[in-house]
Amino acid sequence: MKFEDDTQNLRVRLRVIQLLIVVMLTVLGVRLYMLQVVKGSYYANRAENQRIRMLPIAATRGAILDRTGKKVLVDSRSIYNVIVSREDIKGDFVSLLQPLSVGLDVDPEYLLTRLKEIESQPAFESIRVKENATYSDIAWVEAHALEFPQLRVEQQPQRRYPENGMLAHVLGYVGEISPDQLEQPKFKTKGYRPGDVIGVEGIEAVYDDVLRGHDGYRKVVVDSRGHIQEEIEKVEPQAGQDLVTTIDLELQETAETQLRESPSKRGVIIAMDPNNGEILALASAPTFDPNLFSQRISSKEGRAEYAALLQDPNTPLYNRAIQGRYPPGSTWKIPMAVAGLQQGAISIEHSNILCGGGITIGNKFTRCMGNHGTPELRYAITHSCDGYFYRLGLKMKLEGIMAMVDEFEMNKRTGIDLPHELISWTPSREFKARFNPRDPEWREIDTVYASFGQVYDFVTPLALLRTISSVGVGGRLYVPHLMKEVRAISAVGDPDKPDHPARPANGFGRLQPKIIPIPEDQHHFVVEGMWGVVNNGGTAGRIKMAGFDIAGKTGTAQVVELGKDTGSNKDHAWFVSFAPAYKPEIAVLALIENVGFGGTYAAPAVRAMYDVYYRKTRPESAPPALLAKK
Amino acid sequence: MVGILQKRSIRDFDWLLALLAVAIVCFGTWQIRNAQPTEAYWQKQLIGLGIAMIAMLTIAFTDYRKLVHFAPAFYIFGLLLLIIVLIPGVGLRINGQQAWIRMPIIGQFQPSEFVKIPTVLMLARYFGRPRSSALTLKEMIVGGGILALPVGLILLEPDAGQAITYFPILAVVLFLSAIRIRLVIAIFILGVLFVPAAYTIGIKTGKIKGYQQERINVILDPEKANPRGVGYHTLQSIVTVGKGGLTGSRAPREFSQSSLKFLPEPHTDFIFAVTAENTGFLGCVLLLVAYAVLLSRLITGARRAPDRTGMLVIMAIVGGFGFQLFINVGMALGMLPVIGVPLPLMSAGLSSVLATFIAIGFAISVQLRRFVN
Repeated sequence: MKFEDDTQNLRVRLRVIQLLIVVMLTVLGVRLYMLQVVKGSYYANRAENQRIRMLPIAATRGAILDRTGKKVLVDSRSIYNVIVSREDIKGDFVSLLQPLSVGLDVDPEYLLTRLKEIESQPAFESIRVKENATYSDIAWVEAHALEFPQLRVEQQPQRRYPENGMLAHVLGYVGEISPDQLEQPKFKTKGYRPGDVIGVEGIEAVYDDVLRGHDGYRKVVVDSRGHIQEEIEKVEPQAGQDLVTTIDLELQETAETQLRESPSKRGVIIAMDPNNGEILALASAPTFDPNLFSQRISSKEGRAEYAALLQDPNTPLYNRAIQGRYPPGSTWKIPMAVAGLQQGAISIEHSNILCGGGITIGNKFTRCMGNHGTPELRYAITHSCDGYFYRLGLKMKLEGIMAMVDEFEMNKRTGIDLPHELISWTPSREFKARFNPRDPEWREIDTVYASFGQVYDFVTPLALLRTISSVGVGGRLYVPHLMKEVRAISAVGDPDKPDHPARPANGFGRLQPKIIPIPEDQHHFVVEGMWGVVNNGGTAGRIKMAGFDIAGKTGTAQVVELGKDTGSNKDHAWFVSFAPAYKPEIAVLALIENVGFGGTYAAPAVRAMYDVYYRKTRPESAPPALLAKK
Repeated sequence: MVGILQKRSIRDFDWLLALLAVAIVCFGTWQIRNAQPTEAYWQKQLIGLGIAMIAMLTIAFTDYRKLVHFAPAFYIFGLLLLIIVLIPGVGLRINGQQAWIRMPIIGQFQPSEFVKIPTVLMLARYFGRPRSSALTLKEMIVGGGILALPVGLILLEPDAGQAITYFPILAVVLFLSAIRIRLVIAIFILGVLFVPAAYTIGIKTGKIKGYQQERINVILDPEKANPRGVGYHTLQSIVTVGKGGLTGSRAPREFSQSSLKFLPEPHTDFIFAVTAENTGFLGCVLLLVAYAVLLSRLITGARRAPDRTGMLVIMAIVGGFGFQLFINVGMALGMLPVIGVPLPLMSAGLSSVLATFIAIGFAISVQLRRFVN
């Protein structure tokens, strides 16, 4: 020090300053160590996360086609939404309100609520201000790109179903995956994300894995405002596989029309190929518009529409073909007849049983609709003699009826490829005990009831059609199904190491029938009786068709008490059939709810189906009956 | 005679100090280029370095005592510049601050950076007389007055960040001018008590506004602060620093925090974060060590100064330099609120580099005269 000044401790004070600097630099060094060495990888990750974004590219869902594979039943089309990107908005959304509501024709109040959601949502989310934008909306957004850079147009695939609710119960519908579903293991393991669209009902649900594509993505680097700087990686999406159904559009349209024009407008019509179980038509009325679920459910009106469907007493959401249980009435006599012969209760030679106009068990008389003497089986079927089958049932006993139910698998699901199929209720001691707890004992009168399709029998229309079809083809019990073929789709990406591997074509997997041993002569004997129903003065004689032998059985299912007409509680009308009688190509069932007698209401609906089928398969100018005469 | 002086000057010239300063600027230029690869800031910085080196040599070989003698003239000239910058149309308004004057050829410059030097000289001149007694109240008031004029004018710009950097200059000068230790301790204790109390009262009475409070909160816990709000800059700076890790980030430069605009003002206020991202802990520590050597070199020079004036000039420079270093790096590391103060020798900006080099020139000039008396 050149200048000494002992009064000031100058040396010490300089040291203090030097020390302060050392302390300060040490503090900074320690902090640096904490940030860079201790937590370095954490911050490196953070930096990575804020600059890397995965932008999904939605895959198109596979289309659903008719049996020709040419007509589209369901497909996806792109709709456009106008979105506001949050990063550019910076809280000043009030100034957007007026121009947007005018330019895009949106209700300002709705717009305000949407824009206010911005505050509660994560930063990267964008807000949809207009869904299903029109071309003029998109043009408006593009024209105002400089003025409103925060507006963008986003593409979104949307499922489109047939109008008028046609095939609604078969096709089902898609919807956004729910938070509950996301928690379920079966969805969790497949990598579903919130907002994913999945099949909720019908074919859409059963074949969701097949129909859904694999989303692609773009991995991009964004800057602090979310603008894309560079694309690091792009994986193209792979569309879902197209599904060819077994549905014949013309038959389906006819079935829908028949139901719509029926007196109660409620019922089921099913057409099936008895030789393999392919469903040609399946209509359940009343129906609903599946577009509600794929397009409108998020809106207020859509939710109101859904609530109305749920509360409708006619249960339009219900697929009556597999979820409705109805007493089969006289149609039950067909499996009874087959089983009676099989089990030896009657034989072809000795099939005569007394009608007696009814039967008295204890002090209770159960009547037949007429007095048929002592008819043979064919006559009893053709004229639907109840007395005959009361006594046949007593001969077979409950055990025989139960064996028949087992043989035709009527106590199981048919196995159709639709969700939520119900199991029919069939006679058994347990069923009675549950059904009538005050008198749980199985009595003879119960066997009588069980033998003509009332009280203890509640079958789904599909299960009944399956049973009758198997009789038509001599004992081959097929699994009804709607999927004919799933089309292949090629791999996406590098052929050696594809991002999405190829998905092969596929058919329905359960084509092998269960064989019910029905001797040929017994089969023929029963079919003759069924042929008579239509062609030999039977209960459905009015639908007799020249040149096309329909074999069938009418049924009238008791709702309150058989034959008692009580307005809206009238009996259900059944007609179940196949044709041609001795070489069936098609089996058709109709059930019309609460209209009355089967021969009057259900049979004509079935006839309409056969008319269409006949026109499709036979040259119109030359019916085979005429050819045979030459 | 001139020859001998020259020879001696070259021998006694503090080469280490000068080269260290030049080296830090070069290192800084590299980081400026990393921060803004597409802009010309780094080239401008090199031109600035050239001008600054000439200025430094000129000052270094001029006798500081002559310059201190003329300090009032410089001081008044500096105040005039600070007034001129406030004249609408003359001063350049950037980010709401009217702190720049546009000049032909040199471009724009920031008077508040330069006025520190006449202020230092003025204080050194006033407090540099030999003393035998403790600091008087009168002296403190005069010292405060010398500081208050430029600080008041700078606050009118308004540039609170620059204004704050003036205070340590006075503090160091007073501390080394025999201020009573008990006064220092009293001020320290008052400060410790007063600042939190004032903060609490400020919040209760609503004098401290929400965003100011948030600026403080983000320091206390950056993770909890609203990343889109006031805490954004602090959080992004911490992320940028942390990302550097031990040896610097390996990610391509186009994807750096500054290139993607996550880090604001990367070439000026947040240059330290850029350095941390690119060179990691090792680079940062190296830089801090360089600063430490530079500052101790200056303090050594002060210790050897031929007179009080020279000692005060150097130590006032040390005070201002050290304080600015701490404020800037502390801000980049999320320890201090965001205040727009450049990092000496590193941040892009002609004014800052030139002013710092002139200050170093004075320090060298003082040292060169240590044996001449």
